[in-house]
Amino acid sequence: MPGELSRAAAIVGAAEANEIGYPKTPKTALQLHMEAIKNVSNQTGIPISRINGVFGAGWSSQIAEHLGLHPDYIDTTAVGGCSFEMHVHHALAAIHAGIIDVALVTHGENGYSQRATGGRGTGRARGGDPWDPGSLYSNPYGVTGAPSNYSHALTRHMHRYGTTPEDFAEIAVVTRQWATLNPRAVMHSKETHPEGGPITVETVQKSRIISWPLTLLHVCLVTDYGGAILITSPEIAKSLPTKPVWIAGAGENMSHSNMLEMGDFTATSAAASAATAYRMAGMGPEDMEMAMIYDSFTVTAGITAEMLGLAPKGEGFTLWKSGKAAPGGSFPINTNGGGLSFNHSGMYGMQLLVEAYRQLSGTAEDGVNGIAGKQTKARSCVVNGTGGSLSTTGTLVLVAD
Amino acid sequence: MPPPADHHVKGETVAYNKPIPEPDPLGKPFWDGAKAGKLMLPRCVDCSRVHWYPRHICPSCHSDNIEWVEGSGEGYIHTFAVQHRAMGGWAEEAPFVTAYIDLVEGDRMFTVLRGVDPKNPESIKIGAKVRVEFEAATDDVSIAFWRVAE
Repeated sequence: MPGELSRAAAIVGAAEANEIGYPKTPKTALQLHMEAIKNVSNQTGIPISRINGVFGAGWSSQIAEHLGLHPDYIDTTAVGGCSFEMHVHHALAAIHAGIIDVALVTHGENGYSQRATGGRGTGRARGGDPWDPGSLYSNPYGVTGAPSNYSHALTRHMHRYGTTPEDFAEIAVVTRQWATLNPRAVMHSKETHPEGGPITVETVQKSRIISWPLTLLHVCLVTDYGGAILITSPEIAKSLPTKPVWIAGAGENMSHSNMLEMGDFTATSAAASAATAYRMAGMGPEDMEMAMIYDSFTVTAGITAEMLGLAPKGEGFTLWKSGKAAPGGSFPINTNGGGLSFNHSGMYGMQLLVEAYRQLSGTAEDGVNGIAGKQTKARSCVVNGTGGSLSTTGTLVLVAD
Repeated sequence: MPPPADHHVKGETVAYNKPIPEPDPLGKPFWDGAKAGKLMLPRCVDCSRVHWYPRHICPSCHSDNIEWVEGSGEGYIHTFAVQHRAMGGWAEEAPFVTAYIDLVEGDRMFTVLRGVDPKNPESIKIGAKVRVEFEAATDDVSIAFWRVAE
């Protein structure tokens, strides 16, 4: 039996900024936001002025102000890359409660351009709190961000399950195959990037070592991205020219903020957030026909597949190694080319949502964002965002109309 | 007192050049202990559990009755990684090994591991016994590092 919130709202459109990836001229995060919002408004025919709920990671009031909106619901949950899956969860509840009926979830991040702008235009304050536990008890030891943290999880997975870096490299190889079907993917081909196009396990393992056991091609890209989706009540959804994609289930959870508090380095809170989402949907992993899984690193995707119940513990990577997750396979995963080979701006949760919408609305092969072979037949998709250092998770069960 | 905050480069003594934490009021007993070469740990008086990092209330039973006890200074490698890219002073030391340490008293600390070969990660064993040592970064701040003991 589905829960009360199941299908109480639908994603009715999803769009991106005009130029994403590695733009030739630097973009600001705000510009990336605004282009995506304008594009999703045009796609759905919903005027920006009709939006009455604004959901963004960390600066929703600035976004709403820039749009000249005075929304009835403002949510700026910012707990890493899964924030956007959580925004969908919150928007679903707010629409079900009758507080709003048109929710904007938006993301803009100039992960690439900020190198050229010297850190300007990010929409974020710079610098951290010296009395934060991380500043005091982690940063003195030379860790420099996500790759240097996530590698510890892979080492523990290898120890516990006897897996190898080569097993996880299979994830990068298959994800790159999907990128070759997405012209907007940074690693689509030699035309889009000198190192683009198909790769092998050997290519992945021989790439530059970053944080053992992770080599460069186990690690996501750092790009620009703007993306926005609109979520409405069922009544509005049925009146629009675009196809609705129904939010059948949603859940969120966390295991820690600082990796110091990560109890089990081979597990994430996706097990809990997925259980909530599946229960709301009245569906289980066996009912899913594809997955969009945050792949900040190969290890993130492999472990998450296990947490979502798509593979036994210790065997998540086999979905990719067996070819099931690949183009033409029986269980497509990360059909946009992933954070590994499509686009990863720093927080990747919106990219997951946009691609899940495209797949389930039958628009994944529009010639711009996908060429022949990218559109799957899937009618259901489990979407999982992971934030922080394997810290926070948001899981959605989305189904086609 | 921990060994002095220097390493010798061409016969010259240079200052500690890696990130130096700015001790906070909550963790003061830890930092005072580190300066004296002792591993001080917060422990809940009510449930007797040691926790790391320092808290205002016990993360296990939510008591606000926290005391500080001197730890054994012993632990075991929970997991590790070899950092080939780093910033500032750490870049000069790369590759180096970071690790999470399961304390004998319970809970976990993060560190740079000493007494291991970063070029041969297969030789580093999860579960290996480690012992704490302190390095003075300044006259006031000493930093805990862990060394493989076997």
